[in-house]
Amino acid sequence: MNAKNAFLGIDVGSISTKAVIIDDSNAMLAQEYIWTEGNPIGAVKKLLGLLEKQFDRDAWQIVGVGATGSARRMVGSIVGATIVKNEITAHAVGTTTFHPEVRTILEIGGQDSKIILVENGIAVDYAMNTLCAAGTGAFLSSQARRLGIEVEEMGHYALQSTHPTMIAARCTVFAESDLVHKIQMGHPREDIIAGVCRAVASNYLNNVGKGKKICSPVVFQGGVSKNIGVVRAFEDLLRCSVIVDENGHLMGAMGAAILAKRSLKRTLFDFSVEKMEFVTRERGCGGCSNNCEVICVYRNGVLIDFWGNRCERGAARA
Amino acid sequence: MKQHRKVALPRYGEYNCALKYIVEQGFETECILPPPLSRRTEDLGARNSPDLVCTPFKTTLGSMIEALEAGADTIIMVHGACRLNYFGELQEQILRDLGYHFDFINLSLFNTGKKRDILRALRAINPRRSMIRAGRSLYEAARMVEHLDDTTSFYYQNCGFDPTGQYRKIYWRFISDMYAAQSLPDIQEGYRNAVRAFEDVALSKPPDPIRIGIIGDYYTVMDPFSNLEIEQKLADMGVEVHRLMNITNDMLRNSNKNKQAKIREFSEFSMGASSTTDIWQAQNFAERNFDGLIQVKSACCMPETDIMPVLANLSQDYKIPVLYLTYDSQTSDVGLMTRLEAFYDMVEMRRKVTL
Repeated sequence: MNAKNAFLGIDVGSISTKAVIIDDSNAMLAQEYIWTEGNPIGAVKKLLGLLEKQFDRDAWQIVGVGATGSARRMVGSIVGATIVKNEITAHAVGTTTFHPEVRTILEIGGQDSKIILVENGIAVDYAMNTLCAAGTGAFLSSQARRLGIEVEEMGHYALQSTHPTMIAARCTVFAESDLVHKIQMGHPREDIIAGVCRAVASNYLNNVGKGKKICSPVVFQGGVSKNIGVVRAFEDLLRCSVIVDENGHLMGAMGAAILAKRSLKRTLFDFSVEKMEFVTRERGCGGCSNNCEVICVYRNGVLIDFWGNRCERGAARA
Repeated sequence: MKQHRKVALPRYGEYNCALKYIVEQGFETECILPPPLSRRTEDLGARNSPDLVCTPFKTTLGSMIEALEAGADTIIMVHGACRLNYFGELQEQILRDLGYHFDFINLSLFNTGKKRDILRALRAINPRRSMIRAGRSLYEAARMVEHLDDTTSFYYQNCGFDPTGQYRKIYWRFISDMYAAQSLPDIQEGYRNAVRAFEDVALSKPPDPIRIGIIGDYYTVMDPFSNLEIEQKLADMGVEVHRLMNITNDMLRNSNKNKQAKIREFSEFSMGASSTTDIWQAQNFAERNFDGLIQVKSACCMPETDIMPVLANLSQDYKIPVLYLTYDSQTSDVGLMTRLEAFYDMVEMRRKVTL
């Protein structure tokens, strides 16, 4: 059997779960994007099922798996990933591979936003929101729900507006108050939606983008980049064109797959994970007054991994 | 005046060993060590503090409560160059409102810049004790602080390259020696033992390791619990971690005078507290071609917030990446790890291009 090498990258975020399979030359063999819906393990299993259907298992064999996103640690241990990387690095690697000329990567996800500055194809500086998640995807979702439209349609409405409403978006919760106020004042819906999109962009630039020199070409990615209203707002504010890759939402997974390819570790991956039973349990360590929350992952009832303990005492009790 | 006090200072890194030395050796009075900082300390502090005060206020208040629970009847609070001067007064009031009975020695009331006045304040611990012997204990405790800071700096610069795990044990043995020290020879012996033991461990250190400099507000950057052990986390990734901000450099040696003049290019006047020192340190790290800078600050710390634009300028001029971290009482370990890992990856990949 002469199966060629392929690499799987999985990116499990707060809102969505993404996976791609690539070959040696970074060409995509299979890809999938589904909602996490608060169940990362279930989402990964479902995702692997979907990927398996798209993928020719006789022609290709998966020899490396990369995991990223906020659930990377857990997903990494259940799929037996060869590399587990943070999403910032994964995005930088993914994007610079497909857009080697990029200088600035804007990224807005479900709950985080980051900016990565690139020089000569290498990330040289980055920032990520710390204490505040104002102006991220979660904000857009909740505003869409309030306005009675789907979050996917927001960009379409925003483009119809000629006079975007000013929304005070320093704080997500107060932005909503301001938005309700503007609705009650009789502002048209398109203008409000365009105002929300603009608020996301300006909030981002005033928050994570503060003090960073944004050079063109600019690539915008993450789930929010699918919202054409926010893309236009960025173009207006930055006065330059903003590139949105059609696979921008998959860049994290891409980066993870590329990192798995770059690392020299090779393990054959089959899709048997789908049928296994995984359970996680959270327990207070109780070893000292800090009472660390230790997370234990069990595969078919057997403990395979744990984390969260600050010292060895937690390890002994896991 | 009570004769048998039980004196406590809120937890501040491992500096409590020096206070213990002064109280026990200098004033022959019992010293209570508050329990190590924990989430409970933070919860107690946050529950009883104003919401938008900086995190060190909450942590020290929580530690005071835990000290009182552990039997302390006299609390000492230090002073500083920012709102810290007002902390003692407010914390005393909060604790009294909570119903605790204790004596409070607020050093900020004696903040005249003269060492003699600090000694006068501390004299309340045991007025019958000779001032000369108490003064000598201050001097000896200062030596202890110097040894503690030197050892800590050395430890974090090297422990990431120790494959045996011995470094950690040596460091913590040294810390417990300092807590147990009863005389200057004890202090010196503990230090010498640590230095010798460190020398015996063979390090696997590359000739040009990744070096990251850490700056930040006076409490958060020096207290491992408050900064979620950022230095250890970085060191474990294989980084030489440098921190100039400690009591030795800032108060005892003060070898770098005229810092404000040295950073004139970036900032013409002081923005209070640790701002001038921080900018100077950042510039110092940048000039020594460090791979990155991390600013560790508590939420709502004004001087540290003020210097962020200065650091951004410095970052551009010297082409050095800066990671800004803000800590409050609910900052998660996982979120910090994500940012540190990414910073490390970036710094490492950056090297391959620039070198």
